[in-house]
Amino acid sequence: MAWHKPTSLAQAMQSLRLTSTLTKPSTQASRTTLNTLRTRTYATEAESVPAAAAPEINFGSFSQKPARIIPSSPSYFSGSPRFIDHVLALEALQAKHAALPIVATSEAPRMAWFKLPQFRDYVGEPVPMKKYKSLVKILQRLNRIQPDMVPAEVRDTLATFLRPGNPYAVENVPRTVDENGRARGKGKRKESTAVVQLVEGEGEVLVNGKSIVEVFKRVHDRESALWALRCTQRLDKYNAWIRVQGGGVTGQAEAITLALGRALLLHEPGLKAVLRKAGAITVDARRVERKKPGHVKARKMPTWVKR
Amino acid sequence: MIIRKLCMRQSRQLLALSRRAPVSSRFQSTLPETPVETLQTSIRDEISRADNPLFEMVQAQSEATTPAHQEFTSDEPQRSNFKKLGTTVKSSYDPENVIRNPPKPSQISLEMLLAAGTHLGHSTSRWNPQNSRYIFGIREGVHIISLDVTAAHLRRAAKVVEEVAARGGLILFAGTRKGQKRAVVKAASLAKGYHIFERWIPGSLTNGEQILGHCETKVVNALDEELPNFKSDLADRPSLKPDLVVCLNPLENVVLLHECGLNNVPTIGVIDTDADPTRVTYPIPSNDDSLRATCLIAGILGRAGEAGQLRRLKMAQEGRTSYTPITAQELRLDPFTGLAPGGEGVKK
Repeated sequence: MAWHKPTSLAQAMQSLRLTSTLTKPSTQASRTTLNTLRTRTYATEAESVPAAAAPEINFGSFSQKPARIIPSSPSYFSGSPRFIDHVLALEALQAKHAALPIVATSEAPRMAWFKLPQFRDYVGEPVPMKKYKSLVKILQRLNRIQPDMVPAEVRDTLATFLRPGNPYAVENVPRTVDENGRARGKGKRKESTAVVQLVEGEGEVLVNGKSIVEVFKRVHDRESALWALRCTQRLDKYNAWIRVQGGGVTGQAEAITLALGRALLLHEPGLKAVLRKAGAITVDARRVERKKPGHVKARKMPTWVKR
Repeated sequence: MIIRKLCMRQSRQLLALSRRAPVSSRFQSTLPETPVETLQTSIRDEISRADNPLFEMVQAQSEATTPAHQEFTSDEPQRSNFKKLGTTVKSSYDPENVIRNPPKPSQISLEMLLAAGTHLGHSTSRWNPQNSRYIFGIREGVHIISLDVTAAHLRRAAKVVEEVAARGGLILFAGTRKGQKRAVVKAASLAKGYHIFERWIPGSLTNGEQILGHCETKVVNALDEELPNFKSDLADRPSLKPDLVVCLNPLENVVLLHECGLNNVPTIGVIDTDADPTRVTYPIPSNDDSLRATCLIAGILGRAGEAGQLRRLKMAQEGRTSYTPITAQELRLDPFTGLAPGGEGVKK
C-alpha cells in the first residue's frame, strides 16, 4: 500500500486531507439525521420545517469587548493633563528644530498668542499665569526660527495657539467727517466719558439733551467744557450734540473738552498746534489711586498713638 | 554698453553651463582634469541619513529661495566636514544616552551602578538607622550603600513593574525634582504609564473626584484600542487610581506616599540613607540626589514596564488576558451602588 513507500507518504496525506474535506458535509448531514432520529416521535407527521441558518460569526467580538478604563493622557495624575501634553509636545518640537537658524526677537513675525483666559477656555483647565508664561516662552522661541525656513509642522502648531482673528492685521482707518458733516470725538477724564457730535452751525450746544447752562451751573465748568471752541474763536461756528456719563461735574466738563477738541480736529486739522498748546487735546490719564491696607486712604497713614 | 552687458550675461551663463558639464561626464571612462563638484550633490552625500534633522532642510534647498536660506545650507557641508576632524573618542560617557536609550533590567551590573554613583549615601549624622542593612560602610564621613543590595532590589522592582504592566495595571512615575522631568516622561512613555514631574497635588487620590474629576478617561479593549461606544458610561465614574507608583524622590513626596498607603497602592521608591524605607513597599536603596542615578533607575524600570506591556499585548493578540477585564454590564451599572442607572434594578 501507500504506507510502505516513504515517498508516497505525502501523497497519502494529501488524499486523506482531500477525503476529509469531502466528507465534512456528509458527516454533518449524518449528525443532523441522527438528531432528527432522536427527536422523532413515532407518530406520523409532516416533513419538519428546515431550521434557519446560524448567525454569522462575530470575529470582532474580542476586540469589541471592553477590558479596562484608562486615562486618555499620560499626564492624567498631574491634574491638568491637556496643558502638560501641550507643553511636552512643544518642547519636543523645539528640541527637534533647535539647529535651525533664528532671527532676532524684533525681526520675528508678530504673533497674537492666546490671552490667559482664552487659553484657559481652550484647554479647559485652570492654568496658572506663571505656567502659561513658560509655554508662551517656548512659542516665542519657535516663532524666532528664520521665517523662510520654518517647517510646516511648526507653523501648524503655532497657528493653534493664535487668537481668532489677527489683531495685528487690522490697520487703523483715519477718522474723518462723515457724509452728513458730523465729526465724532470721544474723551475721558476721571470716571467720565463724553461723546461729541460736531457739525457746522450757529453755536448751539446740547449736553444730554439739555442746554449747557442747566448741566454745568459753574461758569468755570462751562468755560472748560467749551474751551476747545473758545480758544480757537469758533464758538459760533459749530453746533455740538454731546452725551456725557459717569463721574462728577468737573470730570464731565473736562471729558467734554477732550472730546470736543478731537472732534474739532477732524473738521480743521490745521488747528492741531493751537489746540495742543491750549491743552484741549491733551489726555489727562490720572485716576483715583487705590486705597491700601494699613493706610487710611491711598497714602495717608493712621495717626500715631503712643500705646 | 548694452551689447557689452549682454555679452557678460551670456558668458556668465556659458560659464555656468561648463560648470554643470562634469555631472554628465562622470559617466565617461576618463574624468576631466579638474572635477568640479556641484554643491547640491555634495550636500546630499554628506547628509544622507534620514534621522538627521538637517536632511529635510537640504532637500528643501533644491527649491531654494532667499539668500539667507542659501547661506545657511551652503555652510552645512563645511560643518559636517569639521565633525570628521580630530580623534575618535571611545567609551565616553554621554549623559543623554541614559535618557534616550536606557538599559534593560537584564543589563544591570555593579559597574553600571557604581558609574552612576548609586552607592553614595548621605553624611553619617543624617542617617536613618532602618537603612543599616543596606549600608556597606563609611568613607570620609559618608555612608556607602552596598551595590549588590541595590542591584538585587532594583531587579526585584523591575520584576514588579513588569508584572504589573503585564496585568494591565496603571503605573505612575513620579519624580518632582529639578532635572528629573525628561527621565520620568521617557520612562512613562516606554512603560505606557503615567508621569508626574511637577508638584503632586495633595488629595489627587483621597479626593480624586474634585482634583482629577475633569480629566478625561477612555474605555479600551484588550488590544489598547479605544471603544468610543462606552463614552457615555464614563460620565459619573470615580477618578482612577494608579496600581503602582514609582517615586524617585520619596523625601519630597511624603503626601503622595501617604495617600498611596491609605489607598492600598503599592509603591517603589529610591531610598537614600536618610530616608525612611518603611514609607514605600519596594525600596531601592540608592543615591537619590544624583540625577544620573535616578535617571538610570527610572530608565531601567521604564524598560521593565515596556517588556511587560509587550507581553500583555502579545497575549491579547492570542485572545487572552492575564487580568479580569471589565464587562459591558459592569460599565453600565452605577459604580457606587451596583444598581442599574434607573435606580430600581437587580442588585449586582
